[in-house]
Amino acid sequence: MAPDPDAALLLAFQRGDASAFRTLYERHARAMVAFCHHFVRDTARAEELAQDVFVKLYRAADRYQPSARFKTFLYRIASNHCLNELRRGEYGARKAAAGAGSPADPDALPAPEAGPEASAEARKLERAVRVLLDRLPDGQRTAFVLARFEGLSYDEIAAVLETSVSAVKSLVHRATVTAAEALAPFARPDLEEVLP
Amino acid sequence: MRHPTDDLSALVDGALPPRRAEEVRHHLSGCESCRALHARITGAVAALSGLPPPPEPSPWFAVRLEARLASEASRRRGPLARLAALAVRWRIAAPVGALAVAAAVTVVVVRTRAANERELASQLDLLADYEVVANLDALSSPGDAEIATHLDALEAEGSPR
Repeated sequence: MAPDPDAALLLAFQRGDASAFRTLYERHARAMVAFCHHFVRDTARAEELAQDVFVKLYRAADRYQPSARFKTFLYRIASNHCLNELRRGEYGARKAAAGAGSPADPDALPAPEAGPEASAEARKLERAVRVLLDRLPDGQRTAFVLARFEGLSYDEIAAVLETSVSAVKSLVHRATVTAAEALAPFARPDLEEVLP
Repeated sequence: MRHPTDDLSALVDGALPPRRAEEVRHHLSGCESCRALHARITGAVAALSGLPPPPEPSPWFAVRLEARLASEASRRRGPLARLAALAVRWRIAAPVGALAVAAAVTVVVVRTRAANERELASQLDLLADYEVVANLDALSSPGDAEIATHLDALEAEGSPR
């Protein structure tokens, strides 16, 4: 396995180097906020969830074994936390409502939080993706987000979800087929094969 | 070859071993339905690149996280730190406490003794009649007891003047 500098930082933190933990969250804060945003679609809440993830990492640091890559360790904590968040409270209720009956109309949703620079088309696409993600079962949603937005390989996703690569292949494929239907109006035929 | 449906997304993601990828491509060249699904998948994956960039952490993210981590660290240290502080406090407080308890016990004992003595003194008159009262049991009949209780009167009536 190639050297994992983040793992080395977490091990340094285990030995009492508090600055190592700071370096870790500075490196991964942006990715964590973005990842959590795919689950809650609310910037302030995503930031809170990302902070929860780092607090959980802080608590779990003593249990970290260098045999696991830091990235998969972090995303496992984040995935579990975000899914738990979805399962309870308002997000669970929203998802249940979205799953009932016909798919929600993306245009009926409140405007997503894209910056002012985002085009109208990008905002519509963001709404459609939000509806899509809310429709996906938990496993497919997590695998899809990890593969499509976070750029994790199937091996890494399998480590995050603690399942087999073939199970990940199936989860990603089923989610992507659903995405192909949902995002048909936005489809761009300019890509033959996406390489990670 | 049966339809390699589950492998189509993996092919788009470059996640198939080279030999398997070649087999799937070969299948696609001869299977219109798989080719159509493959095209839909590639179109959807390409569409995702049109999404606006994800939100950035706010400028207060690090400050708030540091505060939470500091609180976490103190909570983590808490039991040990509290025990140590308790030990220091007890090293000083234990002898003082023991003296205070001893003093309180002494005061209670002394006050109780004094109270008992006062009670005893207040009942000295009763003790004077104690011999008579104690001998009531020796009287053989209720008539004897009646006589004994009126002894003073009988003495006065029967005694020669």
